[in-house]
Amino acid sequence: MGLYAVQSLNALSFSTLLLLTGLGLSVVLNLMNFVNLTHGSFFLLGAYVGVYWLASGAPWWLAFPVAFVAAGLAGFLLERFPFRQFYARTHLMQVLLTYGLSVIFADLMRWGFGAQILSAEIPEALRGVVFIMDMPFPIYRLFIIGFGAALAFALWFVIDRTIWGAVVRACVTDRGFVETLGLDTRRIFTAVLVISAGLGGISGALGAGILSAYPGLDEEVLILALIVVVAGGLGTFRGTVLSALLLGFAMTFSKVWVPEFSNVVALAVMAALLVALPEGLVARKVRQV
Amino acid sequence: MSSIADGTGRVETRPASERRSLPMTARVALLALSAAVPLLFAGDYQLRFLAEILIIGTAVLSLDLLVGFGGLVSLGHAVFFGGAAYAAAIAAQTLGADIVVMLAVGIATGMASALLMGVVVMRTIALFFLILSLIVGQIVWEVVFHWREVTGGADGLRGFPVLKLHTGFATIPLNNGVALYLAALVLAFAAFFTARSFVNAPIGRALLGTRERQLRMSALGYSIPRIRLMALLASGAIAGAAGALYPFVNQYVGPNAVHWTMSAMMIIMLVIGGVGSLYGAFIGSAIYLGIQTYVSSYTDRWQLVVGLVFVLTVMIMPKGVVAGLKAAFGRRKDAEGRS
Repeated sequence: MGLYAVQSLNALSFSTLLLLTGLGLSVVLNLMNFVNLTHGSFFLLGAYVGVYWLASGAPWWLAFPVAFVAAGLAGFLLERFPFRQFYARTHLMQVLLTYGLSVIFADLMRWGFGAQILSAEIPEALRGVVFIMDMPFPIYRLFIIGFGAALAFALWFVIDRTIWGAVVRACVTDRGFVETLGLDTRRIFTAVLVISAGLGGISGALGAGILSAYPGLDEEVLILALIVVVAGGLGTFRGTVLSALLLGFAMTFSKVWVPEFSNVVALAVMAALLVALPEGLVARKVRQV
Repeated sequence: MSSIADGTGRVETRPASERRSLPMTARVALLALSAAVPLLFAGDYQLRFLAEILIIGTAVLSLDLLVGFGGLVSLGHAVFFGGAAYAAAIAAQTLGADIVVMLAVGIATGMASALLMGVVVMRTIALFFLILSLIVGQIVWEVVFHWREVTGGADGLRGFPVLKLHTGFATIPLNNGVALYLAALVLAFAAFFTARSFVNAPIGRALLGTRERQLRMSALGYSIPRIRLMALLASGAIAGAAGALYPFVNQYVGPNAVHWTMSAMMIIMLVIGGVGSLYGAFIGSAIYLGIQTYVSSYTDRWQLVVGLVFVLTVMIMPKGVVAGLKAAFGRRKDAEGRS
């Protein structure tokens, strides 16, 4: 029983990471109709920033805002050029452009940070374990769950319940109309992309504590995040949350039960989901004609 | 939501022979002549390298059937190619590496995996298709990577027999650069003409229709899943044939051949060469592998170079290098003037 409780918490912490990363991706996909495959690079950049910051001895909690700023800045520059030119293009062209950029960034980061695995030094305050039903569980993972859930909730609140979120959603529906209200939609889109990139950075800094940082992590995370977003269904917050939980639990528990073929089982679960529900868990109602 | 597929440029629908001024026989002769040039000047290593370009180019060509004509952007294409490569390498250990047998094994494996993929991805399109094909591909990779007894796991397979051609009276080993280059050349030509006749046949027209106007095609009574499945099968067969020869170029096949990055690499090659132009596949694979092989001997940053070339192609010449250069030198204009 204790084992399952601890594994569930493990799954929950991993799901939270997937959710945060996936949300960054889905915000841009749903609100701007832009497929951003450089999101994995933002994650890895955040992870490297986190590792270096935590090793530097500066106040540990600043690592997360700093990762947000670093990745956000990268997102800001990329948005200016060349993302902006591709908003009106097809998904295929966006996929190609951003995948090419992610190849470039992967190599630049390998150049800058080296090819070895860098593990993060977990801050004093979050080290150690708590005992849940006599089983030890790392405090850091509890921190991930709490912090990540709070961030995700804040994001949902801003997008779904505030005037700023309403403005952004209005841009999706009718950009010209928002312009006539005197709002600069280009700046709004810039802001959305910066927030999305920053979220990627924060997820990376959080994840560095359990996943470390190494070349190739960007692609692994990107694929998982893409699966989460697409399997959840486009345009739904609820769907992303559900599919992040599903993938997180599937990956964690398949490691417990069938360690040899854990990824096969987890991937098969997601494939089965997409076969059964080709539009994702929560499908948007779209008229065919 | 805009479709992931459209906007890759209209595909020229007339047969190539009507568009160009050169007669068919002259063009074939020219091609054969230029194909023979490397035999005179290139060494064993370069010929093997050219064979690799042609084989991977053939796989990219098969991907072009899906992406360029069906609008189906697959990130699981390496399964058809790499799966056939493994099947050939494994079969060679017991059956011997007769090229005809190997091709049969490869084509059968390619079509079988295409059928499997088709059944799974049948109901999805656009981004969902992309992700689902990626997931299927990764499942296969995981199996290949962990099933050590059969696939050799992370080490891959080595030490299988060399490729042979059994003619009526003699057995010719195809283990030198010249023979491998010629075999790859024949494969590439056969694949090119197969793909071209597929595209020009009614099924190919219908495939274009499903890309451009899905709803209208269903209204006309076409079964879209069936057309897509046929395209997948044709593509799988060609990719499988290419995959069957691939292990014999370096007498090695590793799990990277089925990894999704292999699929992504094929897409990069396709885009550099030009989506929807069949010969572009070979140009793209030559450019990519050329950068990989020759730039990596100067610097470790060859991935940076590939990435830059790719991004620049997407930004400046979204229809591929050939179409882009043609447009730049104004040859496009007189082609349009005549139509």
